[in-house]
Order: sequence, then C-alpha cells, then structure tokens
Amino acid sequence: MLDHYRREFTNKNIQFIFVDQKGVVQESDDEVFSVQTGSSIFELHPFFESLEGIFESPENEVDFYCVHLPLKENVFTVDLKIAKKEGGLLLIIYDLTKHYNTYQSVTQVRNESVIKTELTVIKNQELEERERFKNRFIQNFSHELRNPLTSIMAITNILEETKLDTEQSQMLQFLKASNANLKQLLEDILSISMIDTGKLDLVQKMFDLKQFFDLLEFTYKAKAKEKGLNFNADWDEKLPKFVEGDRLRIFQVVTNLLDNAIKYTETGTITFSLKLNQKRANRVSLRFQIKDSGIGIANENLEVIFESFNQLGAIGNTSSGSGLGLAIASGLLNLMESEIKVNSTVGQGSEFYFDLHLKFQLLTSPDAKKSSPKSHKKQELKKTEGPKSKLLLVEDDLQVQTTLFKILLGTGRFHIDVVYDGALVLQEVVSSNYDIIVMDVNLPNLSGDQITKLIREFPFNNVKTIPIIGITADGYQENIDKCRKAGMNKVLIKPFEKEDFLNSIYKILRNSKR
Amino acid sequence: MLKSKKIVVLGHFGVGKTSLIRRFVTDTFSDNYKVTIGVHITKKVVEISAKETISLILWDLEGTDDIETIRKAYLLGTHGVVFVFDITRPSTFQHLKSDLKIVSEKIPNTPLMVVGNKTDLVDAKELQITLDENEITVDFLTSAKTGFAVDDLFTKLANQLAKDA
Repeated sequence: MLDHYRREFTNKNIQFIFVDQKGVVQESDDEVFSVQTGSSIFELHPFFESLEGIFESPENEVDFYCVHLPLKENVFTVDLKIAKKEGGLLLIIYDLTKHYNTYQSVTQVRNESVIKTELTVIKNQELEERERFKNRFIQNFSHELRNPLTSIMAITNILEETKLDTEQSQMLQFLKASNANLKQLLEDILSISMIDTGKLDLVQKMFDLKQFFDLLEFTYKAKAKEKGLNFNADWDEKLPKFVEGDRLRIFQVVTNLLDNAIKYTETGTITFSLKLNQKRANRVSLRFQIKDSGIGIANENLEVIFESFNQLGAIGNTSSGSGLGLAIASGLLNLMESEIKVNSTVGQGSEFYFDLHLKFQLLTSPDAKKSSPKSHKKQELKKTEGPKSKLLLVEDDLQVQTTLFKILLGTGRFHIDVVYDGALVLQEVVSSNYDIIVMDVNLPNLSGDQITKLIREFPFNNVKTIPIIGITADGYQENIDKCRKAGMNKVLIKPFEKEDFLNSIYKILRNSKR
Repeated sequence: MLKSKKIVVLGHFGVGKTSLIRRFVTDTFSDNYKVTIGVHITKKVVEISAKETISLILWDLEGTDDIETIRKAYLLGTHGVVFVFDITRPSTFQHLKSDLKIVSEKIPNTPLMVVGNKTDLVDAKELQITLDENEITVDFLTSAKTGFAVDDLFTKLANQLAKDA
C-alpha cells in the first residue's frame, strides 16, 4: 500500500523518456506531458536538438536546470537529467514549474531593484557633474567679470570728480546705474551658485527686528514714491524687538520680494507687513507678507517662477533683471526651513508671504537699543589724521592696478608702491616699512593668501603685523575664509565702490596699533 | 539536411538578451522587462543563400553578473556565442575583457560576437566616448527596441557558422 502512495506523491512530476541514438522516442511514461512513441524528440522542442551534443560529450550524465519547454498549450519549466544508456539516452524530466515561477517573481523584484538603483546612481552622477560644470562656469564667469567691472566702477568714480557738463553728468548717472545693476547680477549669480552647492552658511545672530523693519520701510517708501506708488508698512506691535536669525539673508529675501513688487506694479499700492503668528517660550513665528496691485501671475506660471533665470517680467513682457531674485529668495528660505507662498490673480496683483521661526530675546538688548537704522545717505569717507601712510598695492591686472592707484593717489593720503607679482611682495615688505598692504588674492607665483601667511610668520614684528586687505574676484565664502584664516584683516570682493574701498583702508589704519 | 547551430546569448541581467532574440525571431519588442531565469530556447531558420539555409537554435541564458557561474551543461555543443552588454549601464561592461576571457575559456574556438545593446538610449557621440574610455571593441551596436543592426548581427553569425561547418 505504501508503494502505491509513494508513487502517487513522488512520481507525479517526474517523467521518464527513453530515446535511441537517432532521437526517436522508444518509451515515455507521460507523467508530465505526452510524447508519442516513435516520434522524433528533436521535433518536440528545439531544446532536444542539443541531445546530439550529449552523444558526443564525454560525460555520461548531464544535468540541465530551469529549462522552459513551451509544449502545446502548457509551458513547463523543468530540470532534466540526461543519462547515456545502452542504445540511447534516458531523459528524466522534473516538472518544477511552480517552484520556478516563484523564483522568477523573486528574481524579477531583485533585478529590477538593482537596475533601478544603478540607473539612479548614474543619473545622479550625471546631474552632479552637470551641476559641478555649471558652478565652475559660474565661478569662472563671475571671476572674469569682476576685474573689468572693478575698473569700470573705479573709473566712473574718478570721472565723477572731474568737471562734467550736464549731459555728461546725466550719462555718468546712467553708467553708474548700469554698473550697480551688473554688480547686483554678479552678486545674484554668486548667491544662487552658493545656495545650489550648499556653500552658503547662515549666520545666526541677535538683531533688532524693528530697526530692520524701519529700514525696509524707509527704503521702499522712497522707491515706491519714485514710481508714483503708495507704500504701506504694517508692523505688529506684539512682535519682539530683537530676534535671532541671519539678518543679511532675511533682508535679501524681503528686498527681492519688495523689488519685484515695485517692478511689476504700475499703479496702486505695495503693502509690506510683518505679523506675529505665535510666541512660545523663547521662540517666535513671524509672517512676512508683501502684497502688490501689479500685473499678477497666471496659475500655470506659479510653479516655475522660483526657478533660476525665470522672470516674472518675461511673463508680463516687461522683463529686466537677472531672473534670479525669486530663486535666491526661495533657496535662502529653504535654508531657513521655510518656503515662499504665493496668491496671485492676473491683472489684480500678487501676495507673497513666508513664515520664519526664530528665537527671540526676552529682554531688550541695551547695546542694540543704542543702534539706529543705517543712514542711506552716501557715507562720508572718514580719513585718518596725521602724516601720509605708506601703502603697498599688489595687483597683477593692469587695469585694476591703474584705477586703484588713481583712487589712492587722488586722496593725497598715501605713499604708494606697486608690485604685480606675488613673489616680489616679501622682498618689498622687508626693505620698506609699510603701514598697509592692499593685495589681490589671485596673483602669479604666490597667491595673496600664501603671501599673507608667510608675512604673518615673519620673525620681525614690523613685518608680521602689517595690516593686509585682500581684494578678490572670487566671492565664495570658502575663499574669503581661506584669506581670513591666512591672516588678512579684511577681504573686499570685486567689484567694490570707491568709498567702501577707501573706508576699509582708513578704518584699518585707524585701528592699527603699529 | 538543414544544418542546426546552437548559439548561446550571454551577458549580465537586464542588458536585453531576450529582447534581441525576440526582435530577431518575431520582429517584436516589449518595454516591459521580464527577468529570464534558467534558459529559453527558440529557433529561427536563416537563409544564407538561395540554396542554403541554416537553423539557429538560440539559447537565451539567465543573465548573471558573474559569468564564471554559468552552468557548463548549457554550453555543451555550442557553435557560436553572442555576448551582450548594456551601453547605458557601466556595470555590464566594466569587466568586459575578463568576462570575454572566461567565455573563451569555457567555450574555446567558438565564434563570438560582442554586442553593445540599447543604442536608442544614447547619443552616438556620447556612446563613442564611453566605448573609447573603456577601451571596448564591439562587433555590433544594436537596439532591440528599434531593431537597429539586430538582423545584421545574427545573419553575420549565421554566415560565419555556415562557412565553418
């Protein structure tokens, strides 16, 4: 009885076929599929054509695993053992279709996942490479533009001090405005590149929020008035006076939004409001809101306006500017774990708003109390008192060198020496007693930061303590940090205004203990 | 009598071996990737000349990233080999030289065609750069999707096998 059961359970999926040396089926138990005795096994399926190879093989038994045999209406997936026997071949066929179907499903998932991961890695590498290329390009491009722009701005400043007729003065003002736009464009490109590469770190400091608000109100009231627009500023009295955050970057976000509001509004009102969402312990949630009565944005454009080089103006056909403002604002807010939201109706206006969660000071800072909003009037250059200072100007770009020399000479406050090669600086500082060095960072032979490092390591006190101002066309924070770490007292990013340049020198000379 | 020649199609998984065979045998293509396990065997009769035809028995082997693990039994009586890689996935061709060496050792003195598949997915210029960078020499660049060079590949191999027979 057990034999009967054994056969029932063990033989069910195993078929035995015997074929002669010509491949003619001699016998089959047809347990898995039916084969006609006397037929050619080669015609059953192309797989069996390989049996000829087995006859020629030195092996007596050959095993095949997972062979798919589509026969008539069924597809069998089988293992086969083929054994050489007297007068032919014995084929033992194990029907493992069910088992292999399961295996197929598992392998399918595994392989798909491996391929997907591989392709994702490749895609990411390509994107990173493109991003690196873009950022290298931006870096080089902005670097190459900064030197000539420094010269243009400096020459414009020099020109302003000469005798000009009315028409020339007017043209000079256009030139100055264009310089300022170009400078802003460079700053924008740099900002977006730094945000994209993760090189922009937020500097969290306590600052006077009311003063910040007042400054914006003051600035934009004037700008709106110039365009014949009304400007409302709405300060929530419940707001704390001091908060902790990156004042500069918050300022950048708000000014970008306010600039856009003014740019895209021809009549009506711009409203800037700063409201309290909530206060909890020492944290405060603020809502910044900028509302205009301008051209508005169509729904289909709302998603793309935060992409780089997308211009609201292009949509409204009044394009100007870099198209980076909203991308920068969005990127900066992203760093601050916030995001810009927009409500807009074409022809009626737009409302941009975002929330910031900041720490705030429970007590008013006595130091901060004393400070007041910065004046927007052109700052007067504060000159040092006393005899002329001895200044070493190190710059290899002839145009920049000439314009800076002219600016310095024009003050009548300096004895100036000029060198253009990094390697000559050390020789100069040892042989002359300089009060200050103004040095380009990107110099031939020895870079500005390398020279600074060597100067700071000098054994003579009169050399090692010379104040050094670095000037660089590379505005990336890591370059600035590198220069500061090397021992530069100040780093100025090209292009800069004449007054900033001179004020930096005067300030350092005033504070110098030499 | 119709000559029969066994061709094994090898390569890593997902490179398009099954698709190449399907394109050659039935002139169809499916974007859905179905993993091959074990071996699928199909047959196509190819006309060598007006008087001569040859029957190609195409063994579509399960893809593997370790060519060394291919079962010896599958390769018994092989007359020709097609080794396929995916030009969009470096993992399928970064060890091409050593993979081909293993194949030659396992099936010595057998005609071998090296095929870069999926040309429809890359730009020709980029593709040449990839091949040059990886010092890859191919016999055919194909696209199972568009059918590009698929017939040429198998016809050339069939001609070679008919000549060798």
